[in-house]
Amino acid sequence: MLPEPKRPFSLRCCAVMISIAARFVPARQRHDWKQEWLAEIWHRWQFLFHAGEWNRGEAVRLIRNCLGAFPDAVWHLTSQDKIQDGVRERLRSPWTCLAALGALLMMLGIASSGFPATRTLFASLGNRASGRLVFIWLHPSAGGGDQGLPSDLAPAWRRQSRLLDSVSGFFTGHQLVRSAATKPARLLVITTESTLFETLQVRPALGSLAARDGVVLTNSAWRSLFHDGRAVIGSAIRIGGESYRVTGVLPASFRFLTRQPAIYLMRPFIAAYPATSVMVVARVKPGVSSDRLDRELTKIAEDATYYFFKSELRYASLNSAIWTPARVFGIALFVSGLFVIAGCKVRLRRLRLAFRSSNRQASIRRASFFAGKAALVLVLIFVAGLEWSRPESAIVFGSQDPANGPFLMWLYILASMGALTWSLADQRARCRVCLRLLCFPVRIGCPGCLLLDWSGTELLCTEGHGVLHVPDLAPSWDEESDRWISLDESWQELFAHGR
Amino acid sequence: MRDPINLSHTAALILQTIDQGCSYGFDIMDATGLPSGTVYPALRRMETDALISSQWESEKKAAAEQRPARKYYRVTRIGSEVLERSQKRYPLLGRLQATKSRR
Repeated sequence: MLPEPKRPFSLRCCAVMISIAARFVPARQRHDWKQEWLAEIWHRWQFLFHAGEWNRGEAVRLIRNCLGAFPDAVWHLTSQDKIQDGVRERLRSPWTCLAALGALLMMLGIASSGFPATRTLFASLGNRASGRLVFIWLHPSAGGGDQGLPSDLAPAWRRQSRLLDSVSGFFTGHQLVRSAATKPARLLVITTESTLFETLQVRPALGSLAARDGVVLTNSAWRSLFHDGRAVIGSAIRIGGESYRVTGVLPASFRFLTRQPAIYLMRPFIAAYPATSVMVVARVKPGVSSDRLDRELTKIAEDATYYFFKSELRYASLNSAIWTPARVFGIALFVSGLFVIAGCKVRLRRLRLAFRSSNRQASIRRASFFAGKAALVLVLIFVAGLEWSRPESAIVFGSQDPANGPFLMWLYILASMGALTWSLADQRARCRVCLRLLCFPVRIGCPGCLLLDWSGTELLCTEGHGVLHVPDLAPSWDEESDRWISLDESWQELFAHGR
Repeated sequence: MRDPINLSHTAALILQTIDQGCSYGFDIMDATGLPSGTVYPALRRMETDALISSQWESEKKAAAEQRPARKYYRVTRIGSEVLERSQKRYPLLGRLQATKSRR
């Protein structure tokens, strides 16, 4: 027998770690569990010491190996029937369902860096000035897509209109942009006049926005092209092979057309591009109706010899453009609601009866849970769709905006139908009293032998509130295909033993 | 009737290592290269499923040698059958030999 050397510090550390981890192990297994771990580390240390291999590295390795005592102890803890039953019971709870949906919403918030598109949507509510901003474009009277306006109409409206405070034309395109600090990149270039920022009533973060000739960068374009450099004003930038000077940088909160990095190329006179059709944004004077505006702008256009025989002017306020996804979602929700009520056999008469019954309080609780759950899922869908589509979208014409277009409409319809169907199915699979998910499914009867018998599945509430009968085949004449049978007080003792 | 047990590759590797003679937790870690946080919970699960059994060595013997008693693991009959099935499922597993343990 070899003499035992003095126990090193690392071994004492391991013993402390094992003692702490042992707290998680159930009392009846704790002694054996601790003995096993302590014996293992002792033998390891002894072997290495007598083999002459015990060193600092082995000491660290031993401590690292002892960290495994924690997952091992937690395994003992979680493998207890009592704990597993507790976890299962928690998973069945209605609060867990709501908490899971809340957690999903939080994860979406983290993934999207704090719901920027949704915040923009609600920020527009408090901004009365943005309600006076209107987009103007041409819409064919029959068929065809939206079109831009002749480039010399905006200056004519600016000169002659008494209903507009200011008006600016612009057109967009993607061009190769290069600064001294970065590689060339294709960015959205918005060619416009210096009056655009006056119309939008925005102040610069750096430099000036009033220059008649030059380039104004959005905050994200400034960060990507000049890495937040304060000396950006006056720097050269090449757009599509031509060199321009940067005259200003827009604030980070500025949103127009898109949230992607964009560059505003200021030209002294946009009408110098006669072949180009432009989009127009205007600030309307307070209290001007859309009809009055239409009459005046059409007359000015006709004076400038523009007659819109096959098309008409269309107006959309910036606020309404921003709120279009909410309207799209509302329509989608209405359509999917009708489908779900028809498809899932929602019996409105049964709902009315439930509220008139003696157990009205339980019915209100069930209805509140259903409303809360469905609302959370629908909010999740609306926000996810908005956050996904908005960064790529340009709020100009309805048909050009993925956030307003048919794709989002279909996405919202299908997702809302899925959400409502799931909410109903989940509600039907819960106890009518405590709202816990029913469990212990039992198959009853023989499928096909339906003349005098019943076949289907029975589900039970673990609290003993009742049993749900779900038939294999629901006859069309039977309005109440799922039958809930309440269990009275005499059953409680049986379930109390089970708990 | 109980469902046949299908082991993961890691669990099968641990079972095979015990079958090849590594009978302590730390020996299994050395032979397989797996961390203790994987090996010990796997041992507990396999013991619960009766694939392995554990036995404390004689207290008297350990006391005589002035050292703490160790817990040995060995593969049961069911464990051998499951290991055989796992070796068919993971053909490369059968070719692996446990490296020499450090005790």
